Amino acid sequence: MSEEKRLHPITAVMNALKTLKEAFIPIVILVFLNRGEAESILDYLPFFIMGGMIILFIFLGVIKWWRFKYWIEEGELRIEQGLFVKKKRYIPFERIQSLNYTEGVLHRPLKLVKIKVETAGSSSNLDSEAELTAITKPEADELNRIISAAKKKLKEEGTVEGEEVVEPQPEEHILYKMSPKDLIVMATTSGGAGVVIGGILIFLSQFGEVIPYEAVFTELVEFVEAGFLLAGMIAVLVFFIAWLIAVGLTFLRYAHFTVKLVEKDIVITRGLLEKKQTTVPLKRIQGITFDQNVMREPFGYTSVTIESAGGSVLEKDSNAIRLLPMIREKETYAILNRILPDYHWKTEFTGVPKRALKRYIFWKMLFSLVIIGPVTYFFFPLGLLSLILIPLAAILGWWQYKTAGWSASRDQLTLKFRGISKQIVYMKKKRIQSLEWTQTYFQRRGDVATIHSTIKSYTSGSHSSIPHISKEDAELMMDWYSPEAEVKKVHEPLMNETELEGY
Amino acid sequence: MGRQEPKMRISERALTVWRLYGWISAAFTLLAGAGVTTLAILFDWSVWFIIGSAIALVLEIILFVFVLPTLKWKRWRYEVREEEIELQHGIFVVTRTLVPMVRVQHVDTEQGPILRKYRLATISISTAATLHQIPALDIDEADELRDSISALARVAEDDV
Repeated sequence: MSEEKRLHPITAVMNALKTLKEAFIPIVILVFLNRGEAESILDYLPFFIMGGMIILFIFLGVIKWWRFKYWIEEGELRIEQGLFVKKKRYIPFERIQSLNYTEGVLHRPLKLVKIKVETAGSSSNLDSEAELTAITKPEADELNRIISAAKKKLKEEGTVEGEEVVEPQPEEHILYKMSPKDLIVMATTSGGAGVVIGGILIFLSQFGEVIPYEAVFTELVEFVEAGFLLAGMIAVLVFFIAWLIAVGLTFLRYAHFTVKLVEKDIVITRGLLEKKQTTVPLKRIQGITFDQNVMREPFGYTSVTIESAGGSVLEKDSNAIRLLPMIREKETYAILNRILPDYHWKTEFTGVPKRALKRYIFWKMLFSLVIIGPVTYFFFPLGLLSLILIPLAAILGWWQYKTAGWSASRDQLTLKFRGISKQIVYMKKKRIQSLEWTQTYFQRRGDVATIHSTIKSYTSGSHSSIPHISKEDAELMMDWYSPEAEVKKVHEPLMNETELEGY
Repeated sequence: MGRQEPKMRISERALTVWRLYGWISAAFTLLAGAGVTTLAILFDWSVWFIIGSAIALVLEIILFVFVLPTLKWKRWRYEVREEEIELQHGIFVVTRTLVPMVRVQHVDTEQGPILRKYRLATISISTAATLHQIPALDIDEADELRDSISALARVAEDDV
């Protein structure tokens, strides 16, 4: 497979569509600019320009496709591309972490896949990324096989260290499949409906000049006066439709969500129209986060994300990979135990001292006053409603105080904290890049400190912190982390039946 | 149990350099203040503009030339042990950082023109995800430290 290859010709169309998508907003503006009566040929100019641009895009797409060649040579994936300037990119196999497949709407009828080459991330090598827009599945598998085989061979020769090997015929274990019910619950509790309504509002505000708001508003007032019941029903209907859209979007992105364990990789596939496949080598996992938002917490649902080192720069959401987007907390442990048996999912926690409570509450209340002051002043009688922020701030502070906790067992640090949603972060000691505590002037007087822990995520760091733990505990944690100190464990992991449930 | 503060202090010449930085930024404030004063006289603004910029200048000199550099220097501690590096710094927010040697990926020293004049250098210790700096060490000490950290870091290898 050392001869030069081109991508599937449909790539030309995809290239053109991609450019078109990027130029979509300017084109829309161009069309909207010219909404008057067509009096002369000049008024049609925007349409000519548009047509010309589309033809140009297609032409460029074809050239881009024609100039793009890839081949395999000397243990490297080599790519040559460029419209005017010829660019060559050579990616050594050992730098390739995984090939991620995506099947878009255009790919599926032609049995093609898009391949993203994920390299072990390192900020200095951000540009050693590559994407093969459309190749046939057999070609993709062949490529995958060659790379795996070559990496394995390299590994046996001992020339590569710390790289994982993918077997030619890997064993597959399906760990988790998301049911449609889970998807509906996920869409409902994600606040997606709110996002849809917000999106529509933003969209409408973009066309502020086109829509006669005043007329609409007067009519709305009349309408509300006509009957509260009717208005209420319409409001419910709007929310219902927004909810349906949110469910639809969730299905588009997460339908057929499946987590498989293939040898030493986790393979996640998802998507209805566009199928996406993400591969995460187990070795690259830096930490696990449980995230429970307010709507999910009472029902015992949680979402589990992986922090992974490396990954694709091209795919922006790949740094925190959603492993289990929506699952009952107690069902997670059985699945996670199969992937990461050396993590302790249940441990004892040390909370924050009582004297921290006032700190959690005080600063939030102070901050709420900053908002309440001006709001009350400018919108006098109605603005007083913002006073409700004070008890809310107090409740949130108390809630954060109750949630905050840390646990350092033999080789694992677990931090539990809450912004508004509750998070639990599991980190292995050897994955923690640095541990830090900070003390403000006020914290010094109260003998408390904020602890920060950083793990590598993607190409940078992911940071978790717990404010106002007692200073003794902060030092204890430092001792636990320090390779030279005596303290090797503070807490005992709990191996109880919840952990084994579902086996 | 309490962890010991890191033992080593940074070079005393750091104080000189930081004071110099303070004077430089005060010079800019002076320029801005002179501008404001000129405008105030030309356009007959309130005299408080002139008083305000004078106060700002004095405050800046007191804080950034005399008070803060000393406090900063007093707080700055570091210690490089066989298996770990520990740092402490910060005036209002004190930060204590622990970086195990195994996590260190590379160490750099750098010097700007002012640091070079005072034979000082800044050490930057990079892990895969974080960057830690020790400002203003004596150049020989910095070079030695850089070499020893990178030697120690090479010994302590581990997978990331």
